[in-house]
Amino acid sequence: MEKKVITRRDFLRVTAMTPLAGAFAYGLKIPQEKEVSKKVKVVLIRDEEALISFKKPDPDVVQKMLDDAVAILLGEKDPVQAWKKLVKPSDIVGIKTNIMHYLPTTQEVEQALKQRIIDVGVPEENIGIDDRGVRRNPIFQKATALINARPARTHHWSGIGGCIKNYIMFVPRASAYHPDSCADLASLWKEFNLIDRTKLNILVMLNPQFHSVGPHSYSDKYVWDYKGIMVSQDPVAVDAIGLQIIQAKRREYFGKDLPMQTPAKHIRLADTRHHLGVSDPRKIELLKLGWKEGILI
Amino acid sequence: MCKSPEKVETNLGSLLPEEINGWKAREKDKVFDPETIFDYIDGAGEIYRAYNFKKLLARNFSKQGKPGIIADLFDMESSRNAFGVFTHDLDGEDVGVGKGSKYKGGLLSFWKGRFFVSLYAEEETDETRDALLALGKKVAFSIKKEGEKPRIVSLFPQEHLFEKRIHYFFNHIILNYHFFVADENILLLGEQTEAALGIYRDDDEKYYLLLVRYPEAGKASVAYNSFINAYMPDALESGIVQTEDLKWTAAKLKEDLLIIVFDVPTGSRAKEMIEEIGKDK
Repeated sequence: MEKKVITRRDFLRVTAMTPLAGAFAYGLKIPQEKEVSKKVKVVLIRDEEALISFKKPDPDVVQKMLDDAVAILLGEKDPVQAWKKLVKPSDIVGIKTNIMHYLPTTQEVEQALKQRIIDVGVPEENIGIDDRGVRRNPIFQKATALINARPARTHHWSGIGGCIKNYIMFVPRASAYHPDSCADLASLWKEFNLIDRTKLNILVMLNPQFHSVGPHSYSDKYVWDYKGIMVSQDPVAVDAIGLQIIQAKRREYFGKDLPMQTPAKHIRLADTRHHLGVSDPRKIELLKLGWKEGILI
Repeated sequence: MCKSPEKVETNLGSLLPEEINGWKAREKDKVFDPETIFDYIDGAGEIYRAYNFKKLLARNFSKQGKPGIIADLFDMESSRNAFGVFTHDLDGEDVGVGKGSKYKGGLLSFWKGRFFVSLYAEEETDETRDALLALGKKVAFSIKKEGEKPRIVSLFPQEHLFEKRIHYFFNHIILNYHFFVADENILLLGEQTEAALGIYRDDDEKYYLLLVRYPEAGKASVAYNSFINAYMPDALESGIVQTEDLKWTAAKLKEDLLIIVFDVPTGSRAKEMIEEIGKDK
């Protein structure tokens, strides 16, 4: 059957029928309202010993942080039991990481995640770790479970880069999602069948970046030792809390509410427009574990 | 069309100064190519690649107790590529640097010759703004060849053109970034075509003029038919249609040039715009 071309006019037709559909220039799918009957859980864990040095995590501490956070998130004492609620031995698991040279997810986080997936009984050959190659990687092409892990940092196109944005590499042309401050980033989760397959979101806040100017900007000066990791099954909630922490750090550093060059509105729209998750802090249960000094939230 | 290099080899570092207003280059320059740019630019590399960039040189300037300044100098291989990538983001004020410039919140970008230049301060202060402008002028002066805007840009009527916004590009992904037309490449844009999109505003109504030039009239005719069949099959004969939002879209072929207007408030204005361009060609 010949593929139907989707034009602006299809978009206008749908808009004329329903005010909800205006956002879906790229998919024309009307979202299902996600039921929010109880608060979404986000776990923030911090450890003063998380870093051996600037941007160099301690692998043992990171493993323990992730174990404790995932266990609390899923209501289990044993981390492996908790992971069994996320993946099963027959799963093919893709760990979507982020390899940005200056501020990657880090190998320590990747390996800690991989270890627990192996502990659940998934054969090592059925586990892949990738970022820019996910579209070509056979593990990701067949993946029945995805683990989404990336660092939090300010971003020229989307305000901040967090878990919602981390899946941009599943898209053939990322720039298609850049308009209007990446307002409709969340739509790619539906478009590329990522919602149900994603079992856990990890926003790495060991060294978040709180300020940048322009598309090429990175400076160690705007990265700090927060020594935290956040986990949630809701990518929007984890990004919403991450944004609050970054904004608090900006207030602390600049001494005023200095607006980001690009508003991170894609997080709120991921909730209100695309119903991917929850961005309203009143609907998020934030569980704080470990080191409290300088927690900023 | 965008593959003819105007002159490839230049020592990029020689186009940047070592010092500006007390900020000094103290680190080794970094150089990136289309494969390695993603290591440097988080999430934006594909835009520079869409405009065929060849090489990027990044130089950091520092001054005790002051925010850092970073200069990114892109060799885009041709002035049309340099102009095109500059038009991708037109927010900001024109500060008169190079052949066209924009300044916004501590970020100065401009184009001249085959180069696109992006200069930014880690924090915006009066002092960093002065330094960025001085740096921009110095870099622009060191680029000797001026470069010309593509001729297609001169075809746009100036009346009601919103903030002189004309985006110049070669592929439908960039077109969709500025104005979503279709998920498929129904206008058959590619390396052999050049396109420009002007944004107009009149009494708070926003509308668009798209011009695409093809290598020859036959290819333009194929593209016109492709567009009409996919986008406005209800206007095969007339080439003008009132769309579902009660605005008007019209298309016309003039030899190798395809002219399309979108979202025009009235049918008469849509026809008038199309005819105006046809006359000027």
